[in-house]
Amino acid sequence: MTDSHTRRGGPSGPPEIQGTASDAIDGVVPRVVAQPESAEDVAAILASASQERAAVVIRGGGTKLAWGRTPSPIDIVLSTKRLDKLVAHEYADLTATAQAGARIDDVNRELARHGQWLPIESPFEGATIGGAVATNDSGPLRHRYGTPRDLLIGIRLALTDGRLIKSGGNVVKNVAGYDLGKLMSGSFGSLAAIVSATFKLTPLPAASSTLIATFDNAAGLVAALSAITGSQLEASTCEVHASALLSPGKAGHYRLLLKFESTPGALNAHVQKARALVDGAQCDVVAAATESDTWRDHGRALWTPPGMVVKAAWLPASLGSVLAFVGEMREHGTDMELSGRAALGSGLFRINGDASTQRAAVERMRSRSDLFRHVVVLRASTELKQTIDVWGSLGDAATLGAAVKHALDPQGILNAGRGPV
Amino acid sequence: MGVVDEHFIAELRRFSGHHDVLTDPLELLTYECDGLPHLHQKPAVVVLPSSADQVQAIVRLCHQHEVPFVARGHGSGLSGGALPIPGGVVIGLSRLNRVLDVDIPNRRVTVEPGVTNLEITRQVAPHGFYYAPDPSSQQVCSIGGNVAENSGGAHCLKYGFTVHHVLGIEAVLPNGDLVRLDSAIADAPGPDLLGVLIGSEGTLAVVTKVIVRILRRPESVQTLLAAYDSISAAGLAVSEIIAAGIIPAAVEIMDSLSIEAVEAAVHPNFPPADSILIVELDGPVAEVREQFAEVEAICRRAGATTVEVAQDEAHRARIWKGRKGAFASMGRVTPNYYVQDGVVPRTKLPEVLERIRQLEARCGLRIGNVFHAGDGNLHPLICYDEKIPGQSALAAEVGGEILSYCVEAGGSITGEHGVGADKAEYMPRMFSADDIDVMQLVRRAFDPKGICNPGKIFPTPRLCGEVPGPYRAHPMEKAGLGERF
Repeated sequence: MTDSHTRRGGPSGPPEIQGTASDAIDGVVPRVVAQPESAEDVAAILASASQERAAVVIRGGGTKLAWGRTPSPIDIVLSTKRLDKLVAHEYADLTATAQAGARIDDVNRELARHGQWLPIESPFEGATIGGAVATNDSGPLRHRYGTPRDLLIGIRLALTDGRLIKSGGNVVKNVAGYDLGKLMSGSFGSLAAIVSATFKLTPLPAASSTLIATFDNAAGLVAALSAITGSQLEASTCEVHASALLSPGKAGHYRLLLKFESTPGALNAHVQKARALVDGAQCDVVAAATESDTWRDHGRALWTPPGMVVKAAWLPASLGSVLAFVGEMREHGTDMELSGRAALGSGLFRINGDASTQRAAVERMRSRSDLFRHVVVLRASTELKQTIDVWGSLGDAATLGAAVKHALDPQGILNAGRGPV
Repeated sequence: MGVVDEHFIAELRRFSGHHDVLTDPLELLTYECDGLPHLHQKPAVVVLPSSADQVQAIVRLCHQHEVPFVARGHGSGLSGGALPIPGGVVIGLSRLNRVLDVDIPNRRVTVEPGVTNLEITRQVAPHGFYYAPDPSSQQVCSIGGNVAENSGGAHCLKYGFTVHHVLGIEAVLPNGDLVRLDSAIADAPGPDLLGVLIGSEGTLAVVTKVIVRILRRPESVQTLLAAYDSISAAGLAVSEIIAAGIIPAAVEIMDSLSIEAVEAAVHPNFPPADSILIVELDGPVAEVREQFAEVEAICRRAGATTVEVAQDEAHRARIWKGRKGAFASMGRVTPNYYVQDGVVPRTKLPEVLERIRQLEARCGLRIGNVFHAGDGNLHPLICYDEKIPGQSALAAEVGGEILSYCVEAGGSITGEHGVGADKAEYMPRMFSADDIDVMQLVRRAFDPKGICNPGKIFPTPRLCGEVPGPYRAHPMEKAGLGERF
């Protein structure tokens, strides 16, 4: 490692500054923060770091940077802050290319000028395109649009050996060569640095509104969900929310949030049909600004109060058992909240309490392999992360993942020890 | 690379039935090629396992002896992806054809790789569900082949490809390990290994079980057929539909030669036209009704000479029979044909179609065109007569030229048929040596010995991305099929 310079590789090299406390990850302050301005800069930084065996953590908006294991010393934080451009918007082809550091909300503001958007949501302000792909994080609209991995059609990467390569392209249909974009999805910056990404886009919906159905028991919600998913309604979200905080002191603790996006003429028909199907619930329909506020608040609901946040999957028809599990945990004094994709079987659990309570809750979930799969700890205290493997078992993917990691990052410099591989 | 000798075949027979190991030259004939018959190669041996355990034993044996192998589904592939490796083993998966689980409450079906694409829909249709990817060959193609090729189909514009519908697999890795992998759709943490395996054309593993998600049948489906005097007018209609913010379930265009062929073969009774545009919308009744009226108006504004709206399911089926029968019908208008599969950004379609028309005039071969207009996926059908000396080679050359047009327009050399053996040599037109080399690094991570369907996808003459180190003869070189320069 070199000492802190203003520019790596001499006066023409990429700018870098000394790491400060505000750059710390789980309390570990990086030696330097590099802020490359071009793809070539990114590649050059990785090549030199690789030679020096310097540990590198890639940072986009920094909104999910604490996800992962606690780091060993970090030499370089590679910030994509200056790679923030929307490179192309081919609106007639419904595609767009953005640099890794471009903020999702900025990109969507630009795309909206042509009535389109990239349906990637983040509850975190400042989340970037690169971070969304690397974490494959998604929100309630995953129900209709999938995760970033499903929208990605091309990617440009900087490898640790300094090469810049691409996979995929600019067309929505393309099976030439390996789809390395998939490999980046969920890699958490452990395999290569994403420089830019190309996506297929979606027309902005002409109209939308959301039906919020509130239930005073889990069985009511499960029956309503079954009626909705068994119908031929096409909701854009099918979101379950179970929280003691929802209506303290009142009976209604379970909510189903169904967003409908359609033509102005058809929208009301969908909402009314859905309303008829969620029999027995207390229903509210929100639209316009109230609808946006509802979804913003829903997205943040899990993240705003304190507590560990865990992601887990289940078979969709097991939702009743999942809600019963949450109920049991609460009865045993663990403050647990669930927010997730009801029809897909994927959700976030917020678990409040001291470190041992939280650890016990994760262990409990992992022990219920009949119910939960892929239990991953996202947000947790450094103390807790040191006593639990945040990723859990990767199963058969562990060996293969390690082989791919070794092939692309033979020195093991990227997100060393923190990522899933 | 190892050699398939008597000892090797005896070993195969030990854990497969005697009749499941084929070495008779006549029996091997069936396996010499897939749906791309101009590429053919006799394998050393064909094995027809009936279980994942048998597949595992076969792959282990190949790994132990360093014998190359290729997995084969139902042989309907169009890029030579299942072309045997000289001196290698073909693992035919047609006997792994059981539907293992139909789980309607959890919206998923588990099948063995030899189950046909359409069989999945047949299984779940009585419950009101279907499996979305619908390659034109769906009646015969296997789900294992769909996973290998990341198959799409006419409806992938709205519903995506195989990779958007596979939740998990069981597969035998090239070292013989039997693994289970979940996809990102099923929230598997870490790099989406299954996402890269799907579409890897049988070069990373042999799939023995596939879990797919199924979708609820849309409440309403509306299909129209519009006839045009020119392909550009049909293309204009497509642009206007997309500009109106409508994503149809399918948008297909057929030109005059393909219309002539299907009329002769499957009699869809299309109206007289230079080009036919098929547009299908699906979804909730109220929405489809509103958008369909708009689509119909757009089609008329773009100059349609006739607009025919499917009045019932039989009518709709007839329209699709005409479209899906296009490739198979070409035999009515030409002794031989070569299907290409290029992609261009949709807005570049007029420009590329014009270049193809000029090429047709120049080369003297008729070129039909059937394409998925919504996603710019062209299927030029190059007509030739193999009995006329030089025409086969000319057809291949013309196909390559068309792919160059696609790449120059910012597109791809394949949208759904795969690179296979057919188009490996064109990969450098789309990807740099570094791009290809890094893909090869990934391949080696799965298959360090290079025995899993070698010679496919990646160009062999330059031998990009081979294991660094001392010179080792490539199997293609050994077989006299490639040389180093």
